[in-house]
Amino acid sequence: MTAGSLGGGPDSGVRVAAVPAPARRLASRGWRSQGTQRLVFGYALLAPAALYVLLLVGAPFLFSLYLAVSDANVGDPVARFIGLENFRSAWEMDTFWIALQNSVVFLVVAAVLKSALGTALAFLLLQDFRGKKLVRGLVVIPFTLPIAISVLSWKWMYDSQFSVINWVLSRLGLIGQFGTEGWPIWLGNPKLALLACIIVNVWRTFPFSAIVLLAGFTSVPSEVLDAAKVDGCNFFQRFRNVVVPMIAPILLIGFLFDTVFTLSDLSVVYLLTQGGPGNATKILPVLAYQVGIQAGNLGRGAAIALFLVPLLAPALILVLRNLKRREY
Amino acid sequence: MARAMATPLTRRRKEVRRHLLIYAGVLPFLVLAVFPIYWMLITAFKQDPDLYRMENFPFWFNLAPTLRNFKILFYQTNYGSWIWNTFTISIWVALITLLTAVPAGYALARLRLPGAENTGIAIFMTYLVPPIILFLPLSRVVAELGLQDSWLSLVLVYPTFTVPFCTWLMMGFFKTVPMEIEEAARVDGCGQAGAFLRVILPISLPGVLTSVIFAFTLSMQDFLYGLAFVSPGDQKPVPVGVPTELIRGDIYYWGSLMGAALLVGLPVAILYNFFLDRFIQGITGGIGK
Repeated sequence: MTAGSLGGGPDSGVRVAAVPAPARRLASRGWRSQGTQRLVFGYALLAPAALYVLLLVGAPFLFSLYLAVSDANVGDPVARFIGLENFRSAWEMDTFWIALQNSVVFLVVAAVLKSALGTALAFLLLQDFRGKKLVRGLVVIPFTLPIAISVLSWKWMYDSQFSVINWVLSRLGLIGQFGTEGWPIWLGNPKLALLACIIVNVWRTFPFSAIVLLAGFTSVPSEVLDAAKVDGCNFFQRFRNVVVPMIAPILLIGFLFDTVFTLSDLSVVYLLTQGGPGNATKILPVLAYQVGIQAGNLGRGAAIALFLVPLLAPALILVLRNLKRREY
Repeated sequence: MARAMATPLTRRRKEVRRHLLIYAGVLPFLVLAVFPIYWMLITAFKQDPDLYRMENFPFWFNLAPTLRNFKILFYQTNYGSWIWNTFTISIWVALITLLTAVPAGYALARLRLPGAENTGIAIFMTYLVPPIILFLPLSRVVAELGLQDSWLSLVLVYPTFTVPFCTWLMMGFFKTVPMEIEEAARVDGCGQAGAFLRVILPISLPGVLTSVIFAFTLSMQDFLYGLAFVSPGDQKPVPVGVPTELIRGDIYYWGSLMGAALLVGLPVAILYNFFLDRFIQGITGGIGK
């Protein structure tokens, strides 16, 4: 992707340069040599970053395509081309389909929950009240805390016996006593484990949804809202017909970023359940890690990871189209 | 009209009522967001028996608070090395990021390179290529360079996400620096490089600092690369070492685990907090300024 887009640079450059062409023809020779100097300087400044990205993101991405069609594994560094064999065998794995289904369920349920919480919180933070800065600072902590670290807290809260969540629920009389049927074992029960993982993802990302929404809301000029008010729009009409269309681009970007991060994150599930019990929480990134690194089957691992691409591609294309319209 | 004539007292009462309503709405969110952190904090200072007594009230100390969990961390585990590794990795990553992203951001924002905007977007999009797709090929790269099982491998791979993000950030930042400043510098006899180094860079220090912070905080969010590339116990950074080394089989030292997580996690979270708006601006393209 990177290689293609960067390679496309000069082409689009021709188009850009075509606009001031008459001016350029009039320009003196001195100006032109200054232009060349500017370009040389510019490319020299750009080169280190471009090379880094090409060599360590672009090339590895292509290499992962190659791994996916080879029989590379950890023990035997000489890989042979085996075509689409890895994709076919992944396709025939029951675990793969379970992981795909879990990934999609995870993504959709988490997205619904975090949008609901995020919207409510954004509306609250839109109000003026004393201590707002403090509240905002505290509420975004889940998003800013390193993920591998906050998952540990949840693992402890989900403890099979000493879960503080269960302690509260049990005192409230909502669940039974420890040792009875009514005591939920969050990470050990196949019916609850995926939900438990989704809750952690929602907990971590609802502040992100709220802040993105808030940024959107505050970008709507108050004159526009006042004008709508004068025209007789009530609150919901203003929201639906003025605010939502105006903040749609920023919402879309936030949503897409979240989709990419949620779909490709393995740390929550890996640290809470390692994909278990059984395959109840196995999602594609966890499966790719287990097949690629733990089982040492690099080719098949790469193939499984690449199945994320068709899931992510629509999101990436939409981000791309939106970024092209960014304002400063 | 009625509002304008309201006495100060009723207006005040209205304000109080509005505040109470908002606080009532915000409270559940605060509890949800902060409770897991509070739970870590109190667990870290509790004595072991205090953690495992179901009949006690769990939200406060039933036995005297203790520092024993932290002593275990520093004397019986590699925690000290992990902090040191985290620190050195961050410095190197920040350095690499600065040396590449700042000049690139400037070139793309200011030097009217052909296709600069598209190139910038292309570089930024690589930030969205997930590590789960890159880690298998990168593990080969790391092995070829002989960096496997060393924290140096992370110095090599963390810039794969910090460079794209910070280039994009700096590009947006440099566009806000008035063109006149640069032109004035050129008139005063500065060369192309001189204008950048002596005039633009010094006034762009806030942006440069922001990039450093992101190089650091984004590195701290990684788990996969550390997990896949570094297995010796003393080479890991904190976010990888704590969950992988302090949990042995089914035995959890919850007190030490929580202490280890918080001691590094909280400062990072607070630092990131101050720059969160820049992060959101960065990814949404600065629409919500």
